Order: sequence, then structure tokens, then C-alpha cells
Amino acid sequence: MTLEVKGVVAGYTKEVPILHGVDLTAREGLVTLILGPNGAGKSTLLKTIYGYLPPSEGDILYYGKSMKGLRPKDMLREGIAYLLQDHSVFPNMTVHENLQLGAWIFRGDKPAVKRAFEVVYGRFPRLKEKRGLAAGALSGGEQRMLEIARLTMTGPKTLLLDEPSVGLMPKLVDSIYEEISKLKEEKFTILIVDQNAKKSIEIADYVYVLKLGENSHQGPQAEFKERLEDIIKEWL
Amino acid sequence: MTNLSLLLEPSILSEVFLQGLVRGSMYALMGAGLSLIFGILGVANFAHGALFMMGAYVMVSVSVMLGLPFVVGIAAAAAVLFLAGMIIERGLIATLRKRAGRDWLLDSFVLTIGLSVLLENLALILFGSRRRGITQMIFGDVAIGDISISYERLMILGIATLVVFLLWAFIKFTNTGKAIRATAQHPEAAQTLGIDISRVYTYAFGLGAALAGLSGALLISIYPAYPSVGLQPIVKGLAVVILGGLGYVPGAIAAGLLLGVIEAYAIFFMSAGWQNVLTAVLVVLILILRPSGLFVAAKGERP
Repeated sequence: MTLEVKGVVAGYTKEVPILHGVDLTAREGLVTLILGPNGAGKSTLLKTIYGYLPPSEGDILYYGKSMKGLRPKDMLREGIAYLLQDHSVFPNMTVHENLQLGAWIFRGDKPAVKRAFEVVYGRFPRLKEKRGLAAGALSGGEQRMLEIARLTMTGPKTLLLDEPSVGLMPKLVDSIYEEISKLKEEKFTILIVDQNAKKSIEIADYVYVLKLGENSHQGPQAEFKERLEDIIKEWL
Repeated sequence: MTNLSLLLEPSILSEVFLQGLVRGSMYALMGAGLSLIFGILGVANFAHGALFMMGAYVMVSVSVMLGLPFVVGIAAAAAVLFLAGMIIERGLIATLRKRAGRDWLLDSFVLTIGLSVLLENLALILFGSRRRGITQMIFGDVAIGDISISYERLMILGIATLVVFLLWAFIKFTNTGKAIRATAQHPEAAQTLGIDISRVYTYAFGLGAALAGLSGALLISIYPAYPSVGLQPIVKGLAVVILGGLGYVPGAIAAGLLLGVIEAYAIFFMSAGWQNVLTAVLVVLILILRPSGLFVAAKGERP
């Protein structure tokens, strides 16, 4: 059990929790998908896992160790990376500088940074070509690619992806899911929140459905694929 | 009657230009610090004038009371204010930010105004209202062609240029500088990459304060130390930040030098006092015609 969420209650203020005791497990090397209607608390759950919102009840375990008290800045050192929902490149810095900041926790260790660049530029040759450009000058799809590349600089084991294809052109959406399935082949543990249920269910291994901050359904991907349309209808 | 032909003598005009650059280098240092703090912490630091004043007092204490060389006084002012700035950020600003909601800008306005009143009155208790200055740090003039300028003003210009260059290189090339830029551009993303943004805030405020302290020390022969000496520098600093584009440090530096030169010519052609009117008019015009500042690209480029 890589990442376990146990009875977590959390929200932006103590008085109004958004998550009312959520349970979830992300298994090592697999893709765990979280679905649910708007306001179900999907993104809030990722933020809570990443230490932005401390849970008022319950606990989050990573390889059996409680993550209580860890802040967002500590997570990458624990091996967990987080793709924010909105655009998150540093627009006035070059592609190369963006990636350098991806290796921030390696700063001072030049050989490690160099190795990270070799791996990432090998994997994303497009970014190598454009490394001198300001990140803000890249297309929407390229920016997402840069964000994903930046996350993998330090070789984390677990990726939290919040709506990876939101706001992209349909053509680019496919390439993002291709990239995620490559990450899956490389045995990253992936926890993904997605509105695009039809696309994301193709790469998922296990699915959770949240509703109003509580667990609603869960099960292996094959089971969900058939029932997907019914479940989506239920939300409307 | 003024002799107009003498006024338009090229050597005199270039001398005024040089005087303007000296004046402008202080505006640039003040503006750069204010802009850095605003761009990263979202704080309009109205205590920046009080920090200038502290720099002036450190200079007087070290170089007059202790009798150490002027360079030591200038360096001490920068160092003391760097520390003071970090303490102010940690103790006051960071504490308040945690409790503040959406009105952070207004909260920070009240906080820094209050801080500046506190610091001025502390100075009044500790040092009294008497002006303490240094008439001249270095004696003598140097002639460049037809222009003559005092060694002292040349030194002020030199040190200010060097500091601005070092600041630029620091922000551009060092790891900490990159973390500062990243935090200004997308604090949440910076955090997910392991950058401790609360630390970046502390360093940025310390750096901004150090620039104010350095200006206060450098200009000791022009502005002696007294409790409210920071008033004019902060007014000019804020003008420069508006002219250069809020939070855009290179814009503030360019606007500072430009404003210094404009003011020098205004004093020369009109009379002392008019430069302040001109600055106010410029600021109002920019706010109406180009609120993003003179030097900001249309896209809204930031450091």
C-alpha cells in the first residue's frame, strides 16, 4: 500500500469541511483515478494529501508512515510530486530554468542535476530544442509537457495529477494521456483527478468515485468501464 | 536676467545630466527595493523611508561616533538593514499574513505605515531631532572634458551602479535568485517543487531593506540623519515604482535614473521645488495613460 488516506476530514476552514471522512488507497505502480461531479472534493483531496490543508480528523500514510505535519515544500523530498490544475510554468523564465527549479531539492549536487537533465531532455526532445525560450511563449500543450517534465526531474515515485487535460485542445488531450500512459509503463504510482472520465478510465487500474466529500463507489477499472455512463448520468 | 545661451552650453547640460544620474541612482535603489518587496510579498512597504533613515543612522554611528572608515559604515548599513528587514518580515509581516484574508494589501498598508511611525519615534527617543550628517566623505573634484564632478558624487554613482548590477546578477544567475523569481511568478508551483516560499519572502524583504539602508548611508552628505529624513526618498521611491511598473525591478531601476535626470533639469531650468510638482504630474499621467508602467511589455512581463 503506497499511499493510504484514512477517514480524512478536511476543508479550507475548520467550520466547513469539504471532505467528510474519505478513504482511499493508491497502489504502487498503478494508476488510481478519482472521479466525481463538481464540488465532490476531488481537488481538495489532492491538496490535503500534499499538505496544503491539514486534515482535522483521520490520517494519510505514505509507505506506512504518517504524513502529519509535512508541508507542500517537504513532499518532493518524500518522493511525491504534484501537478497543479492551472497552468503552473514560470512564464518569464526559460524552459531550462523551469527544469532547473524542478531539481531545486538537488541544488548544490551538480552531478545529480546534470543526470536529471540528461534523462528529461532524452525523454522530451521538444523541450531540449526549446530550452532557451521563455516558458510563457510555449503552446498550451507544450507548457503542460514542461510541467510534467519538471515534476519528474528529481525522480519521484508518486505523481498526483489534478485535471491534466483541462483547458487543452482535443488534439493535445490525446498526447497528454499518451504521456501519462508512458509514465505508467515506467511504474510511477499515479493518483489522478479528472473530469475527462472517458479518457482517463482507459489508463486507470482502479477507480474511486467521490460525491459531496464522501466515498460513493469504488472498484477495479474493468468493472467501472461498463457502468461509467450510468454513473455519469447519476451526477446530472 | 538669466543668460539663456549660458544655460544651453553643452558642458553645463551634461553636468546637469550627471547630477541627475547621481540623484537618480538613489531613486533607483529605493525603487528597486520597494518593487522587489511588492513583486514578491505583495506588500506596498510604506516603512521603506524609515529603513532609509535607519541606514543613515547606522552610517553616522559607525563612521562618526566610532570613527571607522566610510566604506565600513556603508557596508554596515546594508548588513544591519538586511538583518532588520528579515526580522521585520518574520516577526510582523509573516505573522500577519497568516491571519490576513483577501485584504492583504490593505492590511500590509496599515502595518507598514504603523511600523514607520514606530521607527521614526524610536529614532527620536534614541538620537533626538538634531540632524547628524557628514559634510563630505571624500574631498576634491574630477574633470571629465569640460564637466567637473566631485569624487564623492562619482563614488555614489559608482557604488549604486555596482549594487544594481550585483542585484541583477544575483537574481538572474544564483539558485536563490531563481527561487525568488519563481516565487514571484507562481508561488504555489514554487512550493510544489520544494521551495520554501516563506523563506524567500524573508530574504526578499531583507534584500529590499538592505537597498534602502544602503541608500541612506550613501547619501549621508546630501541627506543627514534625522528621524523623518526618509519621507522624500520614499515618496520618490513610490513614484519610481509606479513609473517602472509595479513589482518590475528593472523597470524601477530605469525609471529611477530617468526621474533623477528629469528632476535635475527641472531644478536647473525652473527652480528648486518644481521638480516635485513635475514628478507628481508624471505619476498621474502614467497612471492615466499607461498604468502598467513605462517599461512593462504589453504582455505584462514580470521579473
